[in-house]
Amino acid sequence: MVQCPSCARPCEPRLFCQKCGAPLGVELDLFAALGLPRKLRLDARELERIYHETGRRIHPDRFASAAPAVRRASLNSTALLTRAYRTLRDPISRGRYWLELNGEKLAENNQRVPAALAETVFEVQEQLAELRAARDGGADALGAALRERRAELENSIATTQEELQRNFARWDEGTGERQVLLNGLKSALSAIAYLRTLTRDVDRALEGAPAGLAG
Amino acid sequence: MARIFGIDLGTTNSLIAMMDGDRPRIFADAETGNPLLPSVVAIAPRGETFVGERAIAMEPHLTVERDGRIHAVGFEGGEAGAVIRSVKRYMGLGGAEVAAEDRHRYSFADFSGAAVRFAIGGRTFTPPQISAEILRALKARAETATGEPVERVVITVPAYFNDGQRQATKDAGRLAGLEVVRLVNEPTAASLAYGLNQLAEGRVAVYDLGGGTFDISILNIEGGIFEVLATNGDTHLGGDDFDRLLVDLLLEDVAPQMRLDRHIWNSARGAAEAAKKHLSAHDEAEMTLRLPDREVRRTITRVEFEGLAGPLVERSLERCRMALADAGLSAHEVAAVVLVGGSTRMPLVRARVAELFGREPLCSLDPDHVVALGAAVQAGVLMGSRSDMLLLDVVPLSLGIETMGGLMERLIHRNTTIPTSVTEGFTTGVDNQTHVDIHVLQGERELAADCRSLARFKLGPIEPQPAGLPRIEVTFLIDANGILNVTARDQRTGREHSVDVKPSYGLTDDEIERMLEESIDLGEQDLEQRMLIAARNDAAQLLGALSRQLGEYHSLIEADERLKIEECASKLDRARHGTDRAYISSLVEELNRLTTPFAERIMDRAIAQALEKKSVEELS
Repeated sequence: MVQCPSCARPCEPRLFCQKCGAPLGVELDLFAALGLPRKLRLDARELERIYHETGRRIHPDRFASAAPAVRRASLNSTALLTRAYRTLRDPISRGRYWLELNGEKLAENNQRVPAALAETVFEVQEQLAELRAARDGGADALGAALRERRAELENSIATTQEELQRNFARWDEGTGERQVLLNGLKSALSAIAYLRTLTRDVDRALEGAPAGLAG
Repeated sequence: MARIFGIDLGTTNSLIAMMDGDRPRIFADAETGNPLLPSVVAIAPRGETFVGERAIAMEPHLTVERDGRIHAVGFEGGEAGAVIRSVKRYMGLGGAEVAAEDRHRYSFADFSGAAVRFAIGGRTFTPPQISAEILRALKARAETATGEPVERVVITVPAYFNDGQRQATKDAGRLAGLEVVRLVNEPTAASLAYGLNQLAEGRVAVYDLGGGTFDISILNIEGGIFEVLATNGDTHLGGDDFDRLLVDLLLEDVAPQMRLDRHIWNSARGAAEAAKKHLSAHDEAEMTLRLPDREVRRTITRVEFEGLAGPLVERSLERCRMALADAGLSAHEVAAVVLVGGSTRMPLVRARVAELFGREPLCSLDPDHVVALGAAVQAGVLMGSRSDMLLLDVVPLSLGIETMGGLMERLIHRNTTIPTSVTEGFTTGVDNQTHVDIHVLQGERELAADCRSLARFKLGPIEPQPAGLPRIEVTFLIDANGILNVTARDQRTGREHSVDVKPSYGLTDDEIERMLEESIDLGEQDLEQRMLIAARNDAAQLLGALSRQLGEYHSLIEADERLKIEECASKLDRARHGTDRAYISSLVEELNRLTTPFAERIMDRAIAQALEKKSVEELS
């Protein structure tokens, strides 16, 4: 139990006081912040509705003239709400957060090429190198091939995202061994991260911008 | 609870407004009826300040250049004074950050590390101090109109303002004796004004090209929630830059040393601005510039102007494309485009924006008023009168820290909804290290050196331990104003660390306190008393200047003209010891009117002399 900075009554640690509705400013895990059970499959519309409804209630705009402690609680709770919404809205960052909750995380910078993607990665890099070398002549045909390649990458991302959703379902249904599910989650997430980087490199090459700048 | 007022602190003009029932209302100048207060501040030789039209009226008296310094004509002692326009371009900048074209405009203390300061008459003034004068004038205007004290305000800032620029705006409010309840982004404020009457709903793009800054914000407006999806901009792109194109054209054939003369430059700027406005409704405009030896005339067609202005407009469109990409939208998915800022009156801007988004932009609310109207709406929301409305804005630039090897590690990405926070763990690198230095950066580049330094702070003291053992959690929180707050906690002991964040270019709390003490505190006196004092000061100012001018320049005045002026002056001298403020003000105005031709003759001579001196120097 925590004490509400607004009405001073004891209440459950949530984003806002169940008695007076004022923000509590306590730290919570991101599912609890939105009042959700720890489930990986989420409805985006419902998530947005909760975000807006809670935002209306606890946002600093509502407490501009309140006591400093209440204003601080409002600021902290709203920052937490925003973080929870942004993290859980996107399946990729939601998956990453799930790893974190399970005491795991993806390798920094994700340098190692996932085995299943090795061939694709090699081919794309080769195409990019050809395009760079052929800036003056024959670039059109290479560009067309690269655009085709880009569509393939998009497809792979979509497929991997479906795989991710199946992994989410197994967590939620409690079917499957924990370590297997964790490994499945990690491999799907790192594949998506890698495919996205690859797509970005292709986009930059197509725009003619040197890779590795800005962004 | 004291009422909250809304202020648009613009580069060119500033406004103040409040909610009147369920509608926002802008306060106009009591005498002229003009709702726009020109963002112009004159600092007279003895430190008196003038704002708006009065500051503009001072310009001829304060901007004559001799010996490479600005000298005041017509004031006791002939010390330097200055008239400062577009102070917003300098807000929150370090000396080295001042744009090249902004450097020769005024005298500055220096361009090295610290916050930029204007050097005027042996004193220095920070941009927040100058802005505070504008805020004071707005405050007085609303107090006169409502009869109630103005203490709490919402101030709008360009969406693309960085942390330092926002902090400087808050500092200006504090220096003006105001509590800045909230900083609101200008395009977002504009969307509130449009959204209030359901003039725009769904996905809305706000294109805001003001006097000095450009912003583009993409919002989703639905069910009273104004959610910014992405914002982008350029804090050095605005009407001033379009004026400069025409100034350069007008000064093309003028000798270089004359071009640098501040008086000539100012006259050229005035002619350029007028021509630019004229071209919004006509195909051709003529600019005239009076030089000591001749008159320069230049005719410019709209086609010619648009050819010059095209690249500037294209710069703004590039920013629009970036914002759309960040919002994950294509241009045709935007349901409405709103135009904000005086510069959107240019037909070229309207045409190019319409072309980009594939639809006619909305401009049913005056582009010069809409930000102030929105500021008032947000003030109403903050007072609790509109609990159905909620504004969710974003941070315009990524925030991060410098890591080993001089890289920028992003902790909060641009276009993240605010308020937001992130917690990062830090430890020591060598045994028994007692402090960890943290350098906070803002920007989108990979190298720390290419990002803007925001602040530095020291974590500690840390108990001496082997390297890597201490765990300190630092929370970076960006509040609803878009301003960074830092707190730190020792993970092992749970003890809060004090974090003394030293802004890289801004003012520390101590500096602000000192400036507050230095400024003349009239806040305690009642409104009428304050206005009476102001009127008396004006009178004393004018009379002092006049008596000196009548002595020094007696050859420039006819006997009957002198008689009329002296008669009016003696009336004013008697009146200023009384308490009839309106009478004093009307006499000041009358005397100003009577002496204008005389002042102009003095000015002409001063310029002629200054130029003569220059040419003698060049010959020798």
